[in-house]
Amino acid sequence: MTKLALVINQQRCIGCQACALSCKMSNNVPDGMMWNRVVSLDTDHIDGARDTFPNLTREYLPIACQHCENPACMRVCPTGATYKDDKGRVLIDYDKCIGCRMCMAACPYNARVFNWNEPVRQVGFDYGDKDVPARGKGIMEKCTLCHERTDRGEDPMCVVNCPMRARVYGDLDDPNSAASKAAREAGAYVLLPEMGTKPQVHYVK
Amino acid sequence: MQLTAKTKGACIVLALLAVVGVGCWVFQLLNGLGVTGMSNVNSWGLYICMFMLFVGLSAGGLIVASSAHVFNVESFKGVAKPAVILSTVCICIAAALILVDLGGIQRFWRLFTGPNFMSPLMWDVCIIMIYLVINILDLVWMGKGDEGKVRKLSYVALPVAILVHSVTAWIFGLQIARAWYTAIMAPIFVASALDSGLALLLLALMVLDKMGLAKLDNGLMASLGKLLAAFIAVDAFFILCEVLTMAYPGAGEAAALSQMLTGATAPFFWAEVVGGLLVPFVVLAVAKNREKRGAVVFASVLVVLGVACKRAWLLLTSFITPNVAGGPGITTGTLSAQTGNATSVWATAGSYAPTVLEVLIVVGVIALGALVFILLCSKLLVHVSQAEVAASEDAVQVV
Repeated sequence: MTKLALVINQQRCIGCQACALSCKMSNNVPDGMMWNRVVSLDTDHIDGARDTFPNLTREYLPIACQHCENPACMRVCPTGATYKDDKGRVLIDYDKCIGCRMCMAACPYNARVFNWNEPVRQVGFDYGDKDVPARGKGIMEKCTLCHERTDRGEDPMCVVNCPMRARVYGDLDDPNSAASKAAREAGAYVLLPEMGTKPQVHYVK
Repeated sequence: MQLTAKTKGACIVLALLAVVGVGCWVFQLLNGLGVTGMSNVNSWGLYICMFMLFVGLSAGGLIVASSAHVFNVESFKGVAKPAVILSTVCICIAAALILVDLGGIQRFWRLFTGPNFMSPLMWDVCIIMIYLVINILDLVWMGKGDEGKVRKLSYVALPVAILVHSVTAWIFGLQIARAWYTAIMAPIFVASALDSGLALLLLALMVLDKMGLAKLDNGLMASLGKLLAAFIAVDAFFILCEVLTMAYPGAGEAAALSQMLTGATAPFFWAEVVGGLLVPFVVLAVAKNREKRGAVVFASVLVVLGVACKRAWLLLTSFITPNVAGGPGITTGTLSAQTGNATSVWATAGSYAPTVLEVLIVVGVIALGALVFILLCSKLLVHVSQAEVAASEDAVQVV
């Protein structure tokens, strides 16, 4: 089996948002929404800091679909539009999505975005990877681990464009992959383990 | 039968509201769900609140009707038919509210070609269809006066009516990601189905009594009122259990609880506790009040409104605080975010207010339901005066 994942090193992350924007670019994500975002934890603002001066700390957390081993979103999808593919990615079959937003209520990570309107793009045309399918209004979407790119043997766009090499992409089922090694580092953890979703995306702090 | 001028007037108003609702729905279909107040953070709103309310109103009606046969409560048998009509109409309203909430209704058939039976939403599709069939069979057999079949069906109808609202509760209660995640969700939903459904049935019976289509004497009203008081008490008890369980550890669901008690959804919570549980219970607990039409109407209206408030705090509280909280937050995906209003692209907490269009669609659906209810009642129920004449003719023949 293959279990594709990302391992994100927060020690290396400088909060530059390059991963968030390259994701948006590569996947033709419409105006008003992002699949991948970099948040400053426990604050309300971009690049915000927690606590009070002079005892400030800042923790960046890049967050997108966690590609869970036990995906809450897949369990609740009434039409089977959300599925786990043979490489361990959680994907959406856009043709099957009826827009009920049950998955959105079930996802603990707020990873999903919905096309509430006919999608528009500021530039006035579609952009990004030629193989990424267009999504219309009334359809759910989220990070696909750039499966169009990775199936061609390339890395996900967020990994390619990270200037700090904070993101490692690979197969967790291969103990010798860079991702597996990174996920075994001291300080490696997953988000909200108490939800039992077993995220494949790991973080290193 | 012939409708009176007043009823005809009401029908015309309801039909107009329904037409406006359909018009708004077509507008929503053309433009997307962005015309509502929902967003990526608060992804369900008024439609789902009202869906929960109407499944409950429906289940309550059928539970009373089938109890009449299962427990052989002779006095309830007289109102069984209007109760089933009410229940049928309410479940259709609930189903319609789900349809207007779907973003991709043109792919609706996917539910039948590729059903995922792990999804509580799929369970709901199945149980609502079974439930609707039972309601219609019940009506047909009641119309034919086939007591034996109605009796047998009631043994199926009662558990299915309880199940239909439990499944609706499980759509929410099984989501570990949200504050909804609690085993008491289904009991709470059944309790609110019982009290709101019975309250609506009382109100409907009073209207039908005025129209001369059903007879609600003070004795029956008092016994239904007493039952209503008991159901309110059960509902209140379950809510207390849930709130105490959320509050006691001072952790975990404390954030959701503080929103419920003092935060954004607090007005709905307290409106229900005081207006929807306490006041109607006190009114109905006094035996003399249960015989006063005005007092029973007052209490029943409060119960239905109270349960409507409950749907709001129950649904919306869970959308306020994201599990992973950080700035700038979550992208909302709303129309305003899309059209370049930078401040509305991001949100660190869920917020929601229905738009006028959303309200008009809901009003339209309910108006259509009320219209169908009036027409069905005037078709299926025999006018009390005619029934009495027929009864006296029978009596004469017997003599």
